[in-house]
Amino acid sequence: MESKEEAPRIGVFICHCGINIGGVVNVPEVVEYSKTLLGVVYAEDNLYTCSSEGISKIKEGIAKHNLNRVIVASCTPRTHEPLFRAACEEAGVNKYLFEMANIRDQCSWAHMHEPEKATEKAKDLVRMAVAKARLLKPLEEPEIDVAPSALIVGGGVSSMTAALCLANQGFKVHIVEREPELGGMLRHLHKLYPSMEDASQGLSQIVNSVNSNKSIDVLTSTVVKEVKGFIGNFEVTVERMNGETTNFGVGTIIVATGAANFEPVGMYGYGEYDNVITQLQLEQLLKNGRLEKPEKVVMIQCVGAREEKGRTYCSRICCMTALKNAMHIKELSPDTDVYILFRDLQTYGTHHEDWHRRAQDKGIKFIKYVLEKPPQVAQREDGKITINVYHALLGEEVKISSDLLVLSTPLIPQEGAKELSQLLKVPVGPDGFFFEAHVKLRPIDFATDGIYVCGTAHSPKDVAESVSQAFGVASRAAIPMAVKRLRVEAITATVDESVCSGCGTCVKLCPYGAIQKDEKGVAKVTSVVCKGCGTCAASCPERAITMRHFTDEQVRAQALAALGRVYA
Amino acid sequence: MVAEPKIVAFLCNWCAYAGADLAGVSRIGYPPNIRVIRVMCSGRVDPAFIIRAFETGADGVLVGGCHPGTCHYVSGNLEAEKRMENTKKLLKLIGLGPERLRLEWISASEGGKFAQVVTEFTEELRKMGPNPLKAKAKMEAPINTKQAISEAVKKTNVQYCLECGKCSGSCPISKVNDAFSPRRVVERSLLGFEERVLSGTDLWTCLTCFLCTERCPSDVRFPEFVRACRPMASVELKEELCAHRGIPMALSRMMLNPKIKQDRMGWLPEGAEISKRGDMLYFVGCIPYFDVIFEDFNLELLKIPQSVVKILNNVGIKPALLSNEKCCGHDMLWTGDLENFEKLAKKNVADFKRARATRIVTACPECYRTLKKDYAEVLGNFDFEVLHISELLSELVDKGELKFDAGFSKKVVYHDPCRLGRHMGVYEPPRKVITSIPGVGLLEMGRNRENAICCGVSSFMSCNKYSKEVRMDRLREAKATGADLLVTTCPKCQIHWRCLTTEKPPIDPEIVTMEMRDFSVLVAEAMR
Amino acid sequence: MKANESVLVIGGGIAGMQASLDLANRGSKVYLVEKTPSIGGRMAQLDKTFPTMDCSICILAPKMIECLRHPNITLLTYSELQSVKGSAGNFRVEVLKKPRFIDENKCTGCGECAQYCPTEVPNEFDMNLGIRKAIYIPFPQAVPLKYTIDEENCIKCRLCQKICKAGAVDFDQKPETVNLKVGAIIVATGFELFDAGRIREYGYGKYRDVLTSLEFERLLSASGPIGGHLLRLSDGCVPRRIAFIQCVGSRSLKGGVQFCSSSCCVYATKEAILVREHHPECEVYIFYNELKVFGKGFQDFVKRAQNEWGVKYIRALPGEVVEDPKTHSLIIWYEDTKENMTKNTEIDLVVLCPALVPRIANKELAGILGLELDKYGFFKPRDVLYTPVDTNVPGIFICGYCQGPKDIPESVAQASGAAARAAEVIALSSSGGVR
Repeated sequence: MESKEEAPRIGVFICHCGINIGGVVNVPEVVEYSKTLLGVVYAEDNLYTCSSEGISKIKEGIAKHNLNRVIVASCTPRTHEPLFRAACEEAGVNKYLFEMANIRDQCSWAHMHEPEKATEKAKDLVRMAVAKARLLKPLEEPEIDVAPSALIVGGGVSSMTAALCLANQGFKVHIVEREPELGGMLRHLHKLYPSMEDASQGLSQIVNSVNSNKSIDVLTSTVVKEVKGFIGNFEVTVERMNGETTNFGVGTIIVATGAANFEPVGMYGYGEYDNVITQLQLEQLLKNGRLEKPEKVVMIQCVGAREEKGRTYCSRICCMTALKNAMHIKELSPDTDVYILFRDLQTYGTHHEDWHRRAQDKGIKFIKYVLEKPPQVAQREDGKITINVYHALLGEEVKISSDLLVLSTPLIPQEGAKELSQLLKVPVGPDGFFFEAHVKLRPIDFATDGIYVCGTAHSPKDVAESVSQAFGVASRAAIPMAVKRLRVEAITATVDESVCSGCGTCVKLCPYGAIQKDEKGVAKVTSVVCKGCGTCAASCPERAITMRHFTDEQVRAQALAALGRVYA
Repeated sequence: MVAEPKIVAFLCNWCAYAGADLAGVSRIGYPPNIRVIRVMCSGRVDPAFIIRAFETGADGVLVGGCHPGTCHYVSGNLEAEKRMENTKKLLKLIGLGPERLRLEWISASEGGKFAQVVTEFTEELRKMGPNPLKAKAKMEAPINTKQAISEAVKKTNVQYCLECGKCSGSCPISKVNDAFSPRRVVERSLLGFEERVLSGTDLWTCLTCFLCTERCPSDVRFPEFVRACRPMASVELKEELCAHRGIPMALSRMMLNPKIKQDRMGWLPEGAEISKRGDMLYFVGCIPYFDVIFEDFNLELLKIPQSVVKILNNVGIKPALLSNEKCCGHDMLWTGDLENFEKLAKKNVADFKRARATRIVTACPECYRTLKKDYAEVLGNFDFEVLHISELLSELVDKGELKFDAGFSKKVVYHDPCRLGRHMGVYEPPRKVITSIPGVGLLEMGRNRENAICCGVSSFMSCNKYSKEVRMDRLREAKATGADLLVTTCPKCQIHWRCLTTEKPPIDPEIVTMEMRDFSVLVAEAMR
Repeated sequence: MKANESVLVIGGGIAGMQASLDLANRGSKVYLVEKTPSIGGRMAQLDKTFPTMDCSICILAPKMIECLRHPNITLLTYSELQSVKGSAGNFRVEVLKKPRFIDENKCTGCGECAQYCPTEVPNEFDMNLGIRKAIYIPFPQAVPLKYTIDEENCIKCRLCQKICKAGAVDFDQKPETVNLKVGAIIVATGFELFDAGRIREYGYGKYRDVLTSLEFERLLSASGPIGGHLLRLSDGCVPRRIAFIQCVGSRSLKGGVQFCSSSCCVYATKEAILVREHHPECEVYIFYNELKVFGKGFQDFVKRAQNEWGVKYIRALPGEVVEDPKTHSLIIWYEDTKENMTKNTEIDLVVLCPALVPRIANKELAGILGLELDKYGFFKPRDVLYTPVDTNVPGIFICGYCQGPKDIPESVAQASGAAARAAEVIALSSSGGVR
């Protein structure tokens, strides 16, 4: 629909909502009042505007009275705005030429015992809606194509799971992995809980599936150099080991770069004493059959995790890793005494709690220590490691002299995560792991459309949990790719280049990275990415940014109308 | 050649011992069978010494004190006299005969009398014959405590402990004595500090009431673990901690000897219908002995077996009774004397078989649990049906066959004994029977059924100031319900509560003298 | 045979809704079946969610509306699955629509009927702490916003029928069988609460001021039975000391379930913070065994609760909760395992965090679908590691709590996962290929 600069012809439809509104607000009075407002050419009341009857009345009203703006004064827009907008569209009025006045949830329901005041308020609200409606402009929702292909950064189990799932749904996938081979952390693990199957078993199966899948293009020894564009239309540049670069386009991007292991240098004698190793190193020993039957093994949990400052988080998998390795040692050498010094045993869920009980059955000894009194470690002349730990639940010191001390350390953000986050313009959280759009309801989306995250890149987790998330991103990424065309929000910002001074304030503030400075140094909005929050518009010192549907004029008009001032 | 009798004598320093010295000084001879232990006063002589002496094989025991009125310590000898009377009754029950114990007043100047007494006593004992309880010297095989404890851990789920502390938060002893924590005992055992566990008092403080097990999310059966550890614990400590000086258990051990023929049927009333053999056997338990040991408590304990027989007869049952019934062995099992327990169990089972019994009824929860549960476990097979009297009666109530001629309008509060309740799950049958007595109103304490609080002592081991607090607390709770009578089915509970009346200065007399009745006695009263 | 491109989703909680929206947004048709009159599930019952302290219904309602409005989603609320035949790509499903006795096309959700209905019934949504009428909507933001007549409690006075201006009440409504053809099925039936009354020593059901966490959540909610004012149910006073008891029925080898419900430590922390927000003078204690802080942001959340909000954590599971007969306060007995002392403390209100267990109804559902349950009653994944949302029946997938204990973000991610697997089935089938 073209934006004709014709005079507004506003129709106001006031709802009784049964007695919800009508029982408190004097609806007929509001109708009469509406007719007196500048720009209003028609006003009526309905019992239930959202009913099919009410919808018909709106359409009838538009046709009969040649309305080009519609106001419904009823309940909250959060419920029925889409319904009424659709009615307008069907009657030939652009949906952005519609406005609502909330005279139920925020009026009649809130002021049930003061009908006169409620009626006055309802009139004010209608006046405000009319003031804005006069300034509304029709808006178009542009459509963009979405390329049916995805880039997955990282080649571990999460990446491969997501890749296979997407391929099965008919999409093309590019996996970019910086190491020479696929597999990620899984290559270094020995056994996996709860089944104690060999990590290599599942790994080889999935690697084969990926390599033999025609829809998946695997680029190992390759890193991502640059990413431009937006959802549906990303342009990716990658650099191979030999220095050559390749370009390709994708519709969506998945971050599955995994995590790194923390090396506890200087803690509990690591790097100083013999026989002080990490759980990962223990797994290597177990994998290669090089663990001699020790008499005693002590494991210390939370080494470098759950600290007062710095790495304050719990790394989720260390307690189970310790249990897994402890049980493995017991299997190989039943007479070995194994001690696990823990702070809080993270054996959540079903399988992990089962394992805890089995470990108790095997006689593995659990000693709780507290952050304020960590274990003291020293090495004796004969090579044994002495551990003094304050048993927090017995209130006494326990001394153990052990052949082997294993430190359970947390997963930490992957090397290069920060650089990647800047490349993709997605955030990392305070702990350095990638930061999702919403902690509860959008855990594997980034706020930026079209980019997703899964696996330990998001936060420490085990194989099962990573795979779950990997399937999750396969669904999320598939949505835009399956519908092939996306309608983009019309409520977006736009920059008047002639006024923009290039100060860059808006660029810094945009949570979605939707504004960037172009070659001329002037801010430019990628409408596809813009979510319409308006932060940029409010901060621009030159007033160069227009926030569509919530322009300065429109919002100002509403505010003044609230106070009774209406300008022609 | 008949062995010469051995006499153990306790002589008071001021009179009897001096008198014995005089006999020697005066060269008055007497048989050399006597062995003298000097005590300051005959009042020092603990019945436990006497019982232990007999248990260990003494043929006779002589206690010598000053003539009444001349006791160096005013009235010690009078106390001795009372005790001796009581002890003689025990000896009569156990079948050794009261004549083997002699109390004599011998003054410092009566050397001749001393010699005469000894000569006569020795001759009598020769005629009486030797004490059947001659003990044989035994070598105890050392136990591998680490392994034994590790096995005990596995059997009782101790390894599953989550250290949550729910046990200590529930334990009635822990609430008044926070040095005692079942959780810490478990943790020490798991960490390999067995020595501390076995040599400490914690092992004996546990009431084995199973409240902790009831609530433990990991199903750690702590009392069973304690029971498994006790055989390995320090014997000296056990002796030290045992209340009533270990007399009840000594008597139980004495019963093991096949030569002992008890005289324990004196409680049986005229006209009671019983027999030597029968399908239903009534297992009496050690009540006749408790009646003597605790005669000061005025609990009329003999009414219990009397009531049971009356009830059984009333419902048409002529129970078999064992004239030489042995202790069920409960206390032995729970204090770590497994060897003797097994012996007792085997003997009892042999007796049951000889009596042609197929069903056994008992009125004591400890006997009930031991016969029904522990005998089967320890012996491997146990083909008898064991019933508590309340279960038998409850079935009759269901069938409408339990008739009462009279009732009484009394408000009664029922206490669930540990061994009947939490140990064996019998909560409803006693209640069902009580409520079927006309006029009786049944009140409940807040902490009842599986939440009932132990009476406060177990196997005579854990009697101390904390136990007293627990007992007082329970009695206060019972009193607070407003009931006229506190009813329970366990004679031990009654004994432990009444023991509070011996406290000097007396504590809360209204509470500790609360009227109590045994379940069977209550029922029998209503039957006329 | 060309597969059906529709998917049946069973369960209208956050997991079911996420799976439905993912599939609908990519163009597949979804039938979302929900047993109760409204979608929303457990999240609708929460006041706030950890660790962000978002208002739960505020972030949930837009998703609920999306499900309602989405052209590709058909909501079948107040409905249950009856039977399933066929196989992956071609399931023939029977769904029973229970009669609401309300014509959904006519009802506008105005609520006049409920104002006149004479019958009051405990409100299940408020965990039976509040009341509703026999004609009701479960909560104000219910989707669809259509009333339902609870047949069991309705006394058939027909007052509602007389009152309803839209003429929506129809007492002749019969159960309706809906036959559907779908390509895949997703199960997302969530959880219920372990009966805290089974742990007798905590006095649930005996003492008015011992509540479950979900009951407490409803009390704290502004839309709950007492309008979000923190009060004791026994005497209406503001509690001065509140205690949370964790692991009620969890991690138990007897008298409960063996597993850990995974989110209780953190949601108790959340509720504790809510209490301290409303009433800074109220002392709050959390009695715990192991503090489960493994999720993203959990440890920091707990630290904030301790340092900023003064919530006190005591490492002990109490032995018992008893009432002081004189003061009617509750006394908690516990061994403070860090101080090695058995103590008691006076508390005004006790909140029990019971185990979150798979629904008993899962058994029947498993029977209809041919699914295996694990020993705890959760639906069994085909492979815990590599195919966690698949089941033993190809074409049927599981997600959310019914697959295993987890919190909201994990449920949401897994629901998307189930949607992806379902999409694979449809894509494969419709392209004629079979894997």
